[in-house]
Amino acid sequence: MENTQNGQPSVHDGPETHNPYMQTLRMLWNDKWAFISVTFLLIVLACAVIGPFFLDDLATKQNLRGRNAPPFDFSTSWSFWLGGDALGRPLLARIIVAAQNTIFVAAGAVFFSMIIGTSLGLIAGYTSKTLSQVIMRLADVIMAFPSLLLAVIVLFMLDSSVFNLVIVLAITRIPVYLRTARAETLEVRERMFVQAAKVMGASTPRIIFRHILPVVFPTLITIATLDFAFVMLAESALSFLGIGIQPPEITWGLMVAQGRPYLTTAWWLSFWPGLAIILTTMSLNLVSNWMRSALDPAQRWRLENVGKKSG
Amino acid sequence: MLNFLGKRAVASGISFVGLVLLVFFLSRLTGDPTSLYLPLDASDEIKNQFREIHGLNDPLVVQFFNYMGDLIRFDFGDSIRRSEPAIDIVLRGFGWTLQLAAITLSLVIFFSIVLGSLAAFHVGGAFDRIATFFSLVGASAPDFWVAIVAIVVFSVTLGWVPTSGTGSFAHWILPVAVLFIRPFGLIVQIVRGSMITALSSAYVKTARAKGIKNRSIIFVHALRNALLPVITVIGDQAAALLNGAVVIETIFGFPGVGKLMIDSILQRDFAVVMAAIVVTALAIFLMNLVIDILYSILDPRIRY
Amino acid sequence: MFRKSRLFMATAIASTVAFSAHAQDNSVTIVLSEELEFVEPCMATKSNVGRVLFQNISETVTEMDPETGLQPRLAQSWEDMGDGTWRFHLREGVNFSDGTAMDADDIAHSLVRVKSPDIACEIGAKVFGGIEITSNIIDAHTIDITADPAQPILPLLMSLVTVTPQDAPLDSFVDHPIGTGPYTFDEYERGQFITLSANPNYWGDQPTVQSATYVFRADSAVRAAMVAAGEADIAPSIALQDATDPAMDFSYPNSETMFLSIGHAQAPLNDRRVREALNLAIDREAFIGTVLANGTLLATAITPPSTVGYNANLKPYAFDPDRARELLEEARADGVPVDAEITLLGRSNNFGNVLETMEAMLAMYQDVGFNMKLEMVEVAEWLERYAKPLPEDRGPTLIQALHDNANGDPVFSMYFKYHSNGQTSGLAYPEVDAMIEEATITTGDERTAKWSELFAFLHDEIIADVMLFHMVGFSRVNERLDFIPTIRTNSELQLSQIQFK
Repeated sequence: MENTQNGQPSVHDGPETHNPYMQTLRMLWNDKWAFISVTFLLIVLACAVIGPFFLDDLATKQNLRGRNAPPFDFSTSWSFWLGGDALGRPLLARIIVAAQNTIFVAAGAVFFSMIIGTSLGLIAGYTSKTLSQVIMRLADVIMAFPSLLLAVIVLFMLDSSVFNLVIVLAITRIPVYLRTARAETLEVRERMFVQAAKVMGASTPRIIFRHILPVVFPTLITIATLDFAFVMLAESALSFLGIGIQPPEITWGLMVAQGRPYLTTAWWLSFWPGLAIILTTMSLNLVSNWMRSALDPAQRWRLENVGKKSG
Repeated sequence: MLNFLGKRAVASGISFVGLVLLVFFLSRLTGDPTSLYLPLDASDEIKNQFREIHGLNDPLVVQFFNYMGDLIRFDFGDSIRRSEPAIDIVLRGFGWTLQLAAITLSLVIFFSIVLGSLAAFHVGGAFDRIATFFSLVGASAPDFWVAIVAIVVFSVTLGWVPTSGTGSFAHWILPVAVLFIRPFGLIVQIVRGSMITALSSAYVKTARAKGIKNRSIIFVHALRNALLPVITVIGDQAAALLNGAVVIETIFGFPGVGKLMIDSILQRDFAVVMAAIVVTALAIFLMNLVIDILYSILDPRIRY
Repeated sequence: MFRKSRLFMATAIASTVAFSAHAQDNSVTIVLSEELEFVEPCMATKSNVGRVLFQNISETVTEMDPETGLQPRLAQSWEDMGDGTWRFHLREGVNFSDGTAMDADDIAHSLVRVKSPDIACEIGAKVFGGIEITSNIIDAHTIDITADPAQPILPLLMSLVTVTPQDAPLDSFVDHPIGTGPYTFDEYERGQFITLSANPNYWGDQPTVQSATYVFRADSAVRAAMVAAGEADIAPSIALQDATDPAMDFSYPNSETMFLSIGHAQAPLNDRRVREALNLAIDREAFIGTVLANGTLLATAITPPSTVGYNANLKPYAFDPDRARELLEEARADGVPVDAEITLLGRSNNFGNVLETMEAMLAMYQDVGFNMKLEMVEVAEWLERYAKPLPEDRGPTLIQALHDNANGDPVFSMYFKYHSNGQTSGLAYPEVDAMIEEATITTGDERTAKWSELFAFLHDEIIADVMLFHMVGFSRVNERLDFIPTIRTNSELQLSQIQFK
């Protein structure tokens, strides 16, 4: 494989280069870390989609007398290989089942805050000063509004469901996207190519979406992938304070919070779900770093030229 | 500039009133504090008297205008929970929070910019891999988990630092260290990402092509451009710190404004909630203003 | 860089040495779980306030000792004058820490103060709720106190009334408490610490501990770590899973009883069979030594075994899921809506493992076929749903609660919880009301018998609640101290009882 590439872009003029999927896959394969990350994320996604369907009963079956069973006891059923929790329920099965709520909350909150925040930020950065001022001061209000107060009010008024948690977390994360998108837009719109497009009579939406968004996007994606971790941990902190997701619903964040009192006596209760959060975040970031390179024409060579240096 | 500041002050004033209005009415939605503070079998008469003393009997709108009227005279009302002026309690806590935030943030800014830029210089290199690994672990590690492990290891087992509390220099080490980890991990990644973009952008390439060999010039040049998103994210993290590091305060017994705020919300001590929000909101508005000014210093093309 | 970090470490180590050495060998540091909101003696029945003030700063007229019963404190003796009046003979030569002498006027003023509607004291409401108290000063050291309705246990009630000087305000809390106790209140640095020091003019023996510092840490693991690291001497309350060192950790019955309060007004909970099924569905034994500590007792009543009239003949309901399912079937056949959704309401952070306990019970109930959902709420919302007036639209609800009664008599609990006018009563039975009223005004063996009878009636006949556990608390005590926690440690911590080894 590596012999076919010698660093010359012209080598890729073969038939598969014209197939964008094959090319993407090849670039992915060339970055081993990104490849492993994508595989891991696919597994998590599979757990989230089908896990609760198969394992719900297993994950809620409790056994008080067998609580805090230690991990790595391979004589037991596979579901206990990572140990049991404070009510004697299998941790591995619970982590798999919890993937669904966790991914739903994190992805939902990040997605909504990014879409809303970015749109408002682009508008604030490119349109009239008055509108910009209104949007930015609105962002100030959201930023200064304590997220915990919002959480208490929403979860108190509307029940502490998974969906309401998404709303709370999404609202609190809007300002960072908004401010980023606006700051970058302010800078990009002064650049030569945007000014040129403007002179040539391109419409405002066209300038925003074709010229500005692509420049702003990589930064937003980096923030969004990091926000995945932030949101999962925020949700965990809410559970730590007793106002997060309510059992018997489970998320990784709730599992970490519930395992915390046992840190010194049964570390595995909060360690494994914590590890799941760390691995997911790390995979997402490695994939997003890879995407940055793959989508940026100026950096693409890093992935294509593996012959020079192993990635 | 003066014109800009003037307009900004007016606009911020309006959103400040909006915030106070929003918090005032939303916090009242959580319920009536009366039964929480009186003994279970208090008579209706006593309950009524309690509501009267704390002004809870008036319609909400009247309560709001009373509150705003007092606010103009810098009277924030008394805490129900502690029967002392709410603003005294809040300022005491906010002093601690401000110190903690300032120390932590300075360390975060320094270390994350240095490490993030170094990582971006050799993308995919050993240093980059290591820095990325540790910053991502840092960004996704639950802080209460790290805090307890740190106490058990560094205070109980090794006896190097006190477990918690305030008093000496040593008392600051653990809270600052634990609080440092997450924003550090996050900002290293942001710096790294935007430095990569900046270093591969046309003008740095031009600079290189022109024969500017001096790395530090390139570095400074690129950094200046990469800092826009970094400053925004730092602002976001700073806002979170100014609102109080609830988990850290809870675990380390640190008398900041975060735990005070959550306790007051749960205990329906509205005067304290309001005072806390007024104080932190002022700080956050001011910080956002500084950030906006920084944008135009970093990139003179940005004008308001 | 290196030099800097070395300097940093050196400073850290230097200050480490400074903080871990105890300032003086006769001072102690106590780490409490929450900060004191106020330092008002008439709120001393709240456990965090009580652990600082009760009998340390503010003393009471009589004192309840769990071993020996009611003892003199500020009164040397007392006698029943009939018609609800008791005469107390006060100790002479007792001074408040501000130098003024304590006399009958102060006692009279303290009684007025705890009942003052302007400050709504916890002691006034808890001890004298629904009781009129008048006093008549005979001379400087003799006072007659009259209760209406008459209270045969008035001397016991007086063990909860903290005595404050007669110039203590009737309409506001004090922020620097003055008392007659063995310690004086020095300083309260809000958010950080409280300090007390020995009162040189104390009327009794000088205590061994000469000064005390109280600090506040919300997290149990941190409190335990502080004692282990030598930064604190006593952590009065730590979680079960943090009590891992037998040399330092003591368990004690903490006088709290956990139960599920049943709202009898709503179907299907108005059906006795359903209530019996609720009792049979819980495997109580499975909690002990697992989620709850070893030494936790199964409860048959809301007050601990040390209480007057505790009925030792009652048997806790055995775990019998099959019988529970049968009972539900029978009730269903009679048209009882057993499938209606029941809310299991828990109070967040009520005790160490409350969430695990509630989750486990939820699963047990679902297992026998109850349609139940769990809700964990903060204290404010919990109170709104536990104490009257209750919301009109409430569905059938089981409310988890802890009840604390370390005072030796069920009167502090029964009216409140089971009389149809009681603030947290889930039931309304005229025969129960009558039994409570009768027992309240009798004395001696008759009182014991009447309470016993009531406990049996509630547990076996009516099946008032799901009685669960008499709880156990854990304290961590530094090995340099000679101090053993007791059932009173939940509400007070007398520094004068602490000795050094």
